[in-house]
Amino acid sequence: MKTTTKLIALAIIMVFGFSAKAQITANEIVEKVYNLPTGEDVTSTLNMTLTNKSGQTRVRKIQQYFKNFGDVEKSIMFFMTPADIKNTSFMNWSYDSDKSDDQWIYLPALKKVKRISSDSKSDYFMGSDFTYDDLGDRKLDADVHKLLREETIDGHACYVVESVSKDEDYMYSKTITWIRKDIFVGMKKEFYDEDSELLKVLTIKKVEKIEGFWVITHSEMKNVQKNHKTTIKLSNIKINTGVSASKFSERMMTRGI
Amino acid sequence: MTQFIIKLLDYKWLTMVIIIAISAFFILEMKENTRMETNLDKYMPHDHPAFIYSDSAESWFGIQDGIIIAIENKNGIYNTETLDTLKKLTKRFQKFDEIQKSDVTSLYTADNIVGTEDGMDVKAFFKRVPKTADKLDNLQNNVRNNEMIFGRLVSTDETVTVIIAEIGDDVFTQKFYNEILETAEASETDDIKIYVAGRPIVEGTMALLGPADMKKMVPIVILIIFVVLFITLRSFKGTLITLGVVFFSTIWTFGLMAITGIPVYAVSTMIPVMLIAIGVADGIHLYSHLQVFINHFPNATRRQATIDMIKHMWKPVAMTSVTTAVGFISLLTSQVYPVKYFGLFTAFGVMMAMVFSLVFLPAAIMLFGLPKAKPVNLEEDKEGHSHSKLANNFASWIIKYKYVSILGSALIVVASLIGMQEIWINSSFLEKFEKESDIVQTDKFINEHFGGTSTLNLILDANGTKDAFKQPEVLRLVDKMQKDVNGQLQVVGNTFSLADYINRMNKVMNADKEEFNTIPDSKEMIAQYLLLYEMSGDPENLNKVVDYNYEKANITFQLKSDNSKAMDATLAIIHNYEDDFKKLGITLNYAGSGYKGLVFTDLILEGQIMSLVLSLILIIVLISAMFKNIKIGFIASVPIILTAMISFGIMGFLGIPLNTTTALLSSIAIGIGIDYAVHFLEQYRTNAANTDDKMVAAQKTMAHSGRAIIYNAIVVIAGFLVLMFSVFPPNRELGALVSLNMFTSLIGTLTIMMVLLYVSNVYFKKKTK
Repeated sequence: MKTTTKLIALAIIMVFGFSAKAQITANEIVEKVYNLPTGEDVTSTLNMTLTNKSGQTRVRKIQQYFKNFGDVEKSIMFFMTPADIKNTSFMNWSYDSDKSDDQWIYLPALKKVKRISSDSKSDYFMGSDFTYDDLGDRKLDADVHKLLREETIDGHACYVVESVSKDEDYMYSKTITWIRKDIFVGMKKEFYDEDSELLKVLTIKKVEKIEGFWVITHSEMKNVQKNHKTTIKLSNIKINTGVSASKFSERMMTRGI
Repeated sequence: MTQFIIKLLDYKWLTMVIIIAISAFFILEMKENTRMETNLDKYMPHDHPAFIYSDSAESWFGIQDGIIIAIENKNGIYNTETLDTLKKLTKRFQKFDEIQKSDVTSLYTADNIVGTEDGMDVKAFFKRVPKTADKLDNLQNNVRNNEMIFGRLVSTDETVTVIIAEIGDDVFTQKFYNEILETAEASETDDIKIYVAGRPIVEGTMALLGPADMKKMVPIVILIIFVVLFITLRSFKGTLITLGVVFFSTIWTFGLMAITGIPVYAVSTMIPVMLIAIGVADGIHLYSHLQVFINHFPNATRRQATIDMIKHMWKPVAMTSVTTAVGFISLLTSQVYPVKYFGLFTAFGVMMAMVFSLVFLPAAIMLFGLPKAKPVNLEEDKEGHSHSKLANNFASWIIKYKYVSILGSALIVVASLIGMQEIWINSSFLEKFEKESDIVQTDKFINEHFGGTSTLNLILDANGTKDAFKQPEVLRLVDKMQKDVNGQLQVVGNTFSLADYINRMNKVMNADKEEFNTIPDSKEMIAQYLLLYEMSGDPENLNKVVDYNYEKANITFQLKSDNSKAMDATLAIIHNYEDDFKKLGITLNYAGSGYKGLVFTDLILEGQIMSLVLSLILIIVLISAMFKNIKIGFIASVPIILTAMISFGIMGFLGIPLNTTTALLSSIAIGIGIDYAVHFLEQYRTNAANTDDKMVAAQKTMAHSGRAIIYNAIVVIAGFLVLMFSVFPPNRELGALVSLNMFTSLIGTLTIMMVLLYVSNVYFKKKTK
């Protein structure tokens, strides 16, 4: 009797222990995505196409530089086309701490660098359907994650993870992310607004391995409520080429490319 | 024909059963399929060029009508309680199914873009409701310094703030309206008052109030007509049978509408007005003849009396009905579908009234019996040739003083022509309500504190030239025009365009210095400001003033009145800039519901004038053919022309504007007026055949037709005067004008028309030779 109980108890422990290893938790999945290595610095050319509900488009070509300084990530971008905004540049410093981003803009027609301060991370990036928040990483413990199911999209097996915001005032009540099981890169993400209605759908069209890093090179964000979409394509990607720290300064902003 | 109708008398039971069975079927159909069309947008001719452009412009720029929710606190709005109400109501309105979340604007949703020494600051005015005096003061200062908010979302006296919720054309329902009012009321306290206004509310209330008021008034109208008809006919059976004609023709008309799936429009509520007038007319004329016959032959049987009535009366009844129906058919030339349907179904109803008068009415007399006879006293001196002393005296008096009628008519024509100069067209919805009504008072209150509850959208179109609206000279001209309109017209409270954004950005990027509140000199600068706005503000805002390729721009003028004079004055100033814009390759177009209302009213009137002229020609031709005499055609048209002229003249003198209802009344006036004339003329022709003396014919006609016409007019006028007590001003106007038209038609027929008939010698020429 005693031995039997012990055996059963052991069996239970073993089953639990085993399944804990095989059955990855939602938090572990999200953590893996969060910790996916990116380069220390990235240089790329960004082609951004905005399409409104009537099918009209605005196309912008941007040269961008990014560098990770540890507690701060700095990026600088120069508009190349259209001609009337050529050499307009924008710099963003994003901090690990709760401090809000520092942003500067240089307008060549005004010949002045101006600081932009904004109290909200929900601002849309360059008039696109991406917010600054969508582009950056969201803190792991800001949401409660739950593994909903597993699904295959575009021939890739994925985990489907739901992340519900702990902060009720956050612009998304929840998001649902499809994460590739093999490389832990998100393939699709649905964003739900404060009223839990579907707001936007992000679709990753192409992921490439460049210099040993997985890089999303073609993505599309569609705002289903406004029927507006943004396509971003990256090209000329260079990683860890040792972009100079002095590149990220007000003086460099005024220089153009 | 006579034989056929008389033959039908043998099948009186069958006739009755068939009519009642078909009516019952129509009633069932109406219960199943009748639907009211209260959505005013459905009335618009969407294939008209102005509407096509406006509809596309509305989709390019998301132009929609806004419901305005004003929150007033007499002690000022900068306190926690008021701001909390503002936030809660904003959120509540964002959650309505009928409202898109991004279409709700208030101080809570707005961005505050301000210039600082070293740059630019974009912030919400508040997210959490400020609680400390410090924070409240800070908010107050921020609003004061932002001219895109101050005076637009917060009144300049700081006691009122508004939430604007834009809605689509087709979402307004009674339920939605009630929910809005309940939501607003629930937020009121001792200090905080909430007002709801805006075009959707006005349109919605009107669409609901008009028919609701009619529903209340119609039974009273019918009751009064019943009573007066009973007094004139002195027969209960006769009254019931006559109203039966009206009832069945109305049922058949609306039943047909239900079967064909055509909805009941607001103008369709005037169809019963016409059917009452024509049905009562037929009934009175038939009974009047019947009464005269049995008075002379008190011992006649039902069949004899009825056959005599049919023999003498089927022709005038058929003639009046056909001419009236043809007059209404001319409304088919209108470009506006509800008006087309109004013409078509009224014509059908009039023809049905004819059928019932000639089939149902005789059958009913056969079944229920004749009215009581009042034997004529043949001994009494009637001072003339007919059985009625009064008619004899009146006819000879009118003919003796014929120049009074002729001169009087001439004077009336001149006076009407003068009055008609004053006539103006009004597409205003708000002015259809009482001045003291809540809806007008609320509108006035909001207009006193803000730019205006009505909007006019000017669409500038560079016809495919990309980036035209990044050009400084274009934006400067826009800016100049806006300031000109705003400066010249009291009624224009605000204007808004891309130029306002550029002015603001230029000021902000130059450390908030007022001298930079202008359009900069270079196209690049403008393009870069726009990029900056896209990056820092809500890019959706820009979509409301300029299209994606910067080749079309939307300029919004806020007006404090929705009447056509205000709109026309604004359009006149804008028009001055047409040439300047043309030089820059830009054309001017307009959009929005206010403008569409203006075009719509013009269309109705244009069509109305066309169809009036057409129906007049058709009627003259038809009557000339019926009487085989072209002179008669013209004589018959005199009373109706006079009626229409007096109607328009009086509207001019009293300042009653032409609108969709009052314009359509002229068709009804013609329809009724021609009835009087035809009955009189037909009787006169019959009488003229039996005598050589014009006076004999005139007096006899006066005694017979004249009396019937007067009774007819009294009954209908009495009924429609009841509408003067309606709570809805357009229904009051309807009552007053129908009564007036009946009255002038009556007088015109019995005076000037008779005089013209007399002096023209028609039917007597051969005899006098």
